[in-house]
Amino acid sequence: MAKFGPKRQGPRSDIPAKLGRTHRQEHLNLTTTHNGHHRPPPRPPRRPYPPSLIPTHPKHPLRLGPGLRHVPPSSILPTVAGQLIVNPHKTSMWIESNGGRYTPSPSDLVIGRVLRSAADLYYVSLSPYTPPASLPHLAFESATKKTRPQLAPGALVYARVSLANRHMDPELECVSPSTGKADGLGPLTGGMVFDVSPGFARRLLLARSRDEGGVEVLELLGAEGVAFETAVGRNGRVWVGSESVKAVVVVGRALKETDEGRLGGEEQRRLVKRLVREMR
Amino acid sequence: MPREAEPSLNEKQFVLQALKEDVRLDGRDLDQYRPLELTFGDQHGVAEVTLGKTKVLVKTSAEVTVPYPDRPLDGIFTIATELSPMTAPSFEVNRPTETEVLLARLLEKTVRRSGALDTESLCLVAGQKVWSVRVDVHVLSHDGNLTDAACFAVVASLRHFRKPDTSMEGGVLTVYTPAEREPVPLSWLHSPFCISWSFYGDMGEIAVLDATWVEEQVRVGSCTISLNRHGEICQIAKLGGTPVEAVALLQCTSVALAKAKELSGLLDTKLAEDAKRRDKGGLLAELSAENDR
Repeated sequence: MAKFGPKRQGPRSDIPAKLGRTHRQEHLNLTTTHNGHHRPPPRPPRRPYPPSLIPTHPKHPLRLGPGLRHVPPSSILPTVAGQLIVNPHKTSMWIESNGGRYTPSPSDLVIGRVLRSAADLYYVSLSPYTPPASLPHLAFESATKKTRPQLAPGALVYARVSLANRHMDPELECVSPSTGKADGLGPLTGGMVFDVSPGFARRLLLARSRDEGGVEVLELLGAEGVAFETAVGRNGRVWVGSESVKAVVVVGRALKETDEGRLGGEEQRRLVKRLVREMR
Repeated sequence: MPREAEPSLNEKQFVLQALKEDVRLDGRDLDQYRPLELTFGDQHGVAEVTLGKTKVLVKTSAEVTVPYPDRPLDGIFTIATELSPMTAPSFEVNRPTETEVLLARLLEKTVRRSGALDTESLCLVAGQKVWSVRVDVHVLSHDGNLTDAACFAVVASLRHFRKPDTSMEGGVLTVYTPAEREPVPLSWLHSPFCISWSFYGDMGEIAVLDATWVEEQVRVGSCTISLNRHGEICQIAKLGGTPVEAVALLQCTSVALAKAKELSGLLDTKLAEDAKRRDKGGLLAELSAENDR
């Protein structure tokens, strides 16, 4: 996290670890967007934000998230197009943009594809055409040299990013280092993964994705009696598993169409109705 | 050069399992195309084709050159297909991949060698001056079935293209600017379209039209049929893969004919719409020096 002060801020700042959960967004004014955040009016790029927009606190320093840059002495400039989100409780602000590829950051949950196995680790691809992340053979629940899971190239794993910085390839783990439990992480068998945009994956991962993220399709499909399970990776991949092939396809289409069409609540309800009707 | 992205094992297994149950990931039927869109640019001969997430941009241009010495009466017609790193980082300029070579070859066979463009009509002065028509294919995004999209775009672009009008008087060749004389269309003989089938299953018994990128990665064989709306087949390419029953292939060709008719209809409509859009004052018919064949 960058401190707002005389220290110069690098061009890429870290992501506030988890969006949402404890966040209550400031009611700045104006438009309410699909995910319930409130956004200021659109501004031309590269113009510093007025001081009235920037949260202050007597003790805590201001924390800048992705998409913002501090230019000394006191101007804050956007570096990407997106929605400015200000959290006065944490004195943080960042830009929520839906583009670009995934940049790993610690404690993110991701879905990776095993590329190959080395002496004591797997090389795992988080997104195509990027350097692989490493997943140690022993970073699984109750794994020993003899009982570790054998993953073939191409297998999928649900993992947490344990180490990520600019100068090293990221590292993953499928076990909580404090409790030694998997907590749902590990190899994903069967099912299908669907690619969605990283912004949509973040919305899905919110603790209350329906209210804060504005994504209701999964709950609606569940209410319609479609049985499935999902795992969402922050790298823009959603794994969907089910007994029935049709259910997986319907869930995948619902997610992709919601993401690509930027559907609101009413449209999502209509989409789910249509998909369920087609399935039966 | 980065390696091409690959689907995971789960994806491969799932796609195959779903196809066995007649289900496709985007909810299409097995013999259904993704939504096909065609837009023409402001310039003549610029066509952009979108097939689902596959996007191809084609531009046709013409210049006056010297013909090849062994073919003094024929114009020059080239189709340049190059997959750039913009398509996917695994494609590199000047190092053709298999996909690129096959695509270029198929377009060549379908459009050039089927005699769709009358190259003799491109001759201006025998042995000295001919038109050289060049078609540049740019693949902007690759989500499977490049062949069909690229072929449709090439044909659309060539039919949309207008070359400058010329005249020959007393041994003097004059090339007119668009301001002087309305440019004229190429002498186009028939419109071939590529229809690509992908085969799945142990015996290749499941045939699927317009495969997406993931579906292309797991197929056991493919077959590209090029034909025009009259059912005249220009070429059939079944390059390796699992052998397919002859009866099944016949079935494929008859469906392909129906699809070619659809594509042809779509292209005619779009060309007519574009012509109407350009013909603002209704003067185009008067300006044209072209004779009906």
